[in-house]
Parts: sequence; structure tokens; C-alpha cells
Amino acid sequence: MMRRRRFVTRMISAPFWTSIFARGLSEKAEAKTVEQTSYKRLTHSDADVLAAWCDVIVSGARPAGVANFIDQSLSGDPASSLLLLRYLKASDMADFYRKGIIGIETESHHRFGVPFLQLAQHQQKEMIEAAVASNMQVWHDPDPNFFYFISRSDAVDVVYGTEAGFADLGIPYLAHIPPPKPW
Amino acid sequence: MTKISHEKVEVVIAGSGIAGSTMAAELGEAGFSVVVLEAGPERKLSEMISSQIWSRRLRWAGPEVQETGDLVGAANFAMGWGTGGAGLHWYANWYRLHPDDFHVRSKYGRSLDWPISYDDLRPWYDHAQAYFGVSGDYDPNAPTGAPYPMPAIPISDQSAAIKKGFDAEGLTLSLNTLAVNSISYDGRAGCLLDGWCDAGCPIGALANPLVLQWPRAQKAGVELRHNAYVARFETDPSGSRATGVVYIDENGNENVQPADIVISACHTIWNARLLLLSSTDKHPDGLGNRSGTLGQYFTSHALTTIHGLFERETEPHTGVTGANTLCLEDYDNKLPAKDAFGSRAWLVGQAAKPNDLLGTALAKPELFGDALDDYLRKASSHYGNMTVLCEEDSIAENRIVLDHSKNDRFGLPQAHVTNSLPQANVVRSEMAKSEGLRIFKAAGTSEAWAGPRNPMHMIGGTIMGNDPSSSVTNSFGQLHEVKNVFIAGASLFPTPGAINPTATLAALVFRTADHIRTNRSSLLP
Repeated sequence: MMRRRRFVTRMISAPFWTSIFARGLSEKAEAKTVEQTSYKRLTHSDADVLAAWCDVIVSGARPAGVANFIDQSLSGDPASSLLLLRYLKASDMADFYRKGIIGIETESHHRFGVPFLQLAQHQQKEMIEAAVASNMQVWHDPDPNFFYFISRSDAVDVVYGTEAGFADLGIPYLAHIPPPKPW
Repeated sequence: MTKISHEKVEVVIAGSGIAGSTMAAELGEAGFSVVVLEAGPERKLSEMISSQIWSRRLRWAGPEVQETGDLVGAANFAMGWGTGGAGLHWYANWYRLHPDDFHVRSKYGRSLDWPISYDDLRPWYDHAQAYFGVSGDYDPNAPTGAPYPMPAIPISDQSAAIKKGFDAEGLTLSLNTLAVNSISYDGRAGCLLDGWCDAGCPIGALANPLVLQWPRAQKAGVELRHNAYVARFETDPSGSRATGVVYIDENGNENVQPADIVISACHTIWNARLLLLSSTDKHPDGLGNRSGTLGQYFTSHALTTIHGLFERETEPHTGVTGANTLCLEDYDNKLPAKDAFGSRAWLVGQAAKPNDLLGTALAKPELFGDALDDYLRKASSHYGNMTVLCEEDSIAENRIVLDHSKNDRFGLPQAHVTNSLPQANVVRSEMAKSEGLRIFKAAGTSEAWAGPRNPMHMIGGTIMGNDPSSSVTNSFGQLHEVKNVFIAGASLFPTPGAINPTATLAALVFRTADHIRTNRSSLLP
């Protein structure tokens, strides 16, 4: 992420940079708003853990509102869910995330003796690597590798899968009908 | 629970997807009174939002399918929910089965035979491609047929990059055949090549039921009821004739829709499930299941996607989601090596956005953090892909059954699908993967890799045949045992070939509709 910002500062003139900085402040304020939003299905602590987990997988997922994205779909009509999980396990999606969050915390305590949110960055990364390698020690249900796959997709959705995300990647969006909101 | 009875109609159809809507339009225009029952909600073109995230609302939201075996997991992704069913998010790849695909048992001593040949279906393929609107050029490796009504969509930057690899392998890469308008056709616009096919095509360049079949059906007086979840077909006391269907509406009320002709045009799994749910004392193992084959011979296509990063820019976000180009060369060689069996087809240059199952991010699921970000920045302009479909043998062990331990919200047993790829097809699939990696290497990729083997398309379970002791329906999809019940859809296919099924599904629908029209007096009391 830092490397990308440095690239941006090299390519864009100062007046533009000032406006981008101002927009950055605005985004931070927006992120704070997201953090303060109440959740309908997830508890605040669950949402914090899930957002932190997703943010390690995709930098920017937490301020982009990944926990709200998931909570919104879990709390509404399942037929209106926007989660990729609905393709692969539709029977009880809320239970899937709840158990996954418990798995993160259980594994974190087992490995490091503290909650996931208190881990150092390299320890959080080690947890993700263990999920990728199907190498969790005490977390088994839901399959940590599958939970990683699904939560990664959620994080990718909110960071790269929106109009803003496309623009950040330099991809023209080319909508026939633009989304009324990112998600 | 309140029970509501409706006035009798001549034809009731379960399912409003491509099979159901095409059948409804055909029979409505032939003067039949027709009611169509759709389990999901009403859909409008305005809901076809260009977003992989929002498009998920178009996917299946009915009871979950239980799946076991080594080639499963595509059910909820493949099926649709609401007007038009999967026809709102299909990829419009339009191919004919090859002549040998109809005679696999006779020619190779394995899998099954169809009760009809390619020549029987050829005129209906010709009719279907004009009806849907198909773009494509002559391909010497495709079965013979009428010229396509529109020229092919031009080669994309992505396909052009990959073509070098096919040339090096000595394989011909052809422009794809698609039910997507390359130019304005039949009052519908030409494609803008913006790569949003599976989010739905609101401009109607991709033939979908909202722009093609439903306007015709509604003009012909067909009634479409939404949120109508069909629970079973009913038969008379003798068990020899269907009297209508029972469905549950959005208020949970049970409705009875009497009809002279009952047509099941649901997605593959649900066609079999509905017949299994319709058991009576005269049909204790499911309607039309005296042979014991109902639910059996489920097949899919074994899919492997080859991914790569190219030095040249490929604009992977543009084009069509289905594929821009196609390789059918060697398709007819079903015995490519000792211990290997089955045809294969390469679908090349599929438009890819960053997210969702077919997106560039999930092409490398092991990447996270900065590595993922670095990869996506490269992939956004230099990614290329192609997918191979490999044939699966039809075997009785792969099947759809009812799982009485798991019920849907109406208390009806869920469907359970078992599908494992036979070993000779596994060997074929592995050969194709190696071929694909060679092609991508020869194309000059800086990096090429293969994804896991996955299923694509759901086929079989209510197979057609000449022999009532080994099949569920005749070649018109008519139950051997209950003559006024018809099945429409890929569940009828005895073998899957190695190509997308919709063109064949549509050809069969037109053939069956013609049969019903021609035999109107004997089918109606």
C-alpha cells in the first residue's frame, strides 16, 4: 500500500496531491463512521476480529467496510445476499462466519496466548499463512482454508470489486447499469 | 394451510428459465393456454446491475443442494432465481454436440447412447440459432449446420495473445459461437463487449428470456406466476395421467393448478427432484421411475482453467464472459491415449473482472496482502485465461436422490447429488491440463498456472432413451409411464459431450414443442 502511495506522489502534481490528501482525510472520517456503525447480526467484537482478519488478507478491507458488508448480507433476506458464500454454502451463512471468528480467536490464543487483535502484524500474517496452508493447529470448523477463501473474497469485493476499486486498479468500469452503491 | 384451487389450463410449466420460457412461448403461440410457475421473484432488466457483487442476487436462493464426490460444488452458482432463471446470467456459449456424442455406448462400449442422432437434431439446432441469434464463423471442427445469422465477434487482445500458443501446438483457434449479437439482430442491440455478461445483459445483446422469450410468451397470453414453488405433480388414481401440479405461494399457501399437460422445465437437479417428490402408491419410487433410472446418470463437465500473465496488454476486463475464441480441433478423438477417455474443448479468452469466482483475484487464491495487490495490478492489464471442458462418462452411480434427513423450509426433502469423475476421464482431464500449460508457455507467458479441476454444467438424471426399462423419457422428453408429463432441460441428456449444453437444450425444447403441437388432439382429453 505504501509503495502504491509513493508511486502516486511521483506521478501527480502538487495541487492534485493536496486534493488527494484532503480526500484521504475524508476517507478516514468515513472509515471511522463505518467502525461506529452498529451491526445487526455480528457483535462488535466479532466484527472487529473479522475486519482485522480481512485487512491482513486485503489491505484496506477494514476501512472499506468489510464487516458491514458481511453483516448487511447476513442480516437481510438470504435471497438478497451479496456474499459469494451463497454459491458454496447457503444453509446457515451467519453460523459459518460466527464459527470462523471463534476459530480465529481460538487459534490465536493457542498459538500466541492473546486475541487476534492484539497480535503483532507478523503474527497475524502467520495465522493467514496457516489458513492458506491448511495448517491450523486447533481450528478445524469451518475448514480454515475455506474460511480464508470466503473471507478473502469478501475483502476483495469491497476493496477491488467496486467502481472505486476498479479505478484504483486502472480498470475502466464500463457499466451498463452502474451499481446504486458499492454493495 | 389454506389450499387454493385454480382454473384448469392446457399446459402448466414448472420453471421460467431458458427451457421453460422457450417452451411457454412456443406453446402459447401455438394457441395453448399456458401457466408458468417460477419459484423465485419477478426480475426486470433494471436489476441487471453491472457488478459482480450485485449480480449474486440473480443466483439460486432455493433449498441448498447437498453434494458429495470429487466433481461437485457448482450447483448454487449455476442456477438462477427469478424470472428467466439461469438464463439471466448464462454465458451464451453456443455449441452443437458432435455426431459421436450421440452414440458413445455403441462406438466405445461405455457411457450411454441417445435415442436420436445428430441428424435428427440438426434442423432444430438450425432453428434455435436463428431464434436466439447466434454470432459465429464457419468452423471446420464443428458439426455441419446452417450458417450463423451473424458474423463472429472479432478476436480480442486476450485471445490474440493466447493464439500464438495454439499456433505453436498446431491447433486451430476459431472465433467463438455465441448467442450474443455481434451486430443488431431481431430488434436487439449489438454487444458493447464490456464483459458483464454474467451480471446480466440489460441491453439484450446477449439472448436472455427477459428480452427474447417472455415478450413473445406474454404477447401470446402465457401467464407467469412468481414465488410459486412447485412441490409435486399430481396424478389420477390409476397413476397413468398427471392432473396438475401443487405449488406453494409466497404466503405459504398450497395451490393446485390443474392441467392437461405438465412440463417440468427446472434446472437439472430440480427436474429429478420434482419427479422423486411426486411418488404415489402407483409410483412408489418417484413419478416415471419404474426403470429405477430416475436420478441416475448425472454428469457434468470436468473444467480446468489455465491462467497466465502476458507481456503484452490483454484488456482482460473486456469482451464476453463466455469466451472469445474456441478450439474444437481433436474434439472427436475420444481415445487420446491409453486409459484416457473423452472429448475436450478449449474456451479461450474469457472476460475477467477482479472479483467473484471467475475473477482475476481468485485465479491465485493463495496470494494475500502486498503480494495480492502487486499481482492484481499486473493482472488487470496482462492477464489471460482459457478453460477446458472434458467429457464425463455417464454412470449410474453418479446420481440425484432425496435426502430425507434434510428438509427445505416447506418440509420437503432436499436433493443430494453424488458425482465423482471416472478414472479414464480423470486421465483425459490431466492430459488437457498439460496441453493447456504447454499452449500458454508457447504463447510467451511470463507465468502460467492451472487452477483446480471443477465441475461445470449439470446434466442427466432424467435421461431419455428408447427402452423404458433403462430410461425415464422418450426422445421428446415424455415420461414413458405418464404420457402427459414432459421434461425439458439438460437433465434429459444421456451423455454430456464436452461442450456447453444450452444449444442442445434449446434444440430439444423446439423439437418437443413441435411434438406437442403435432399431437395436440391426443394429448388433450
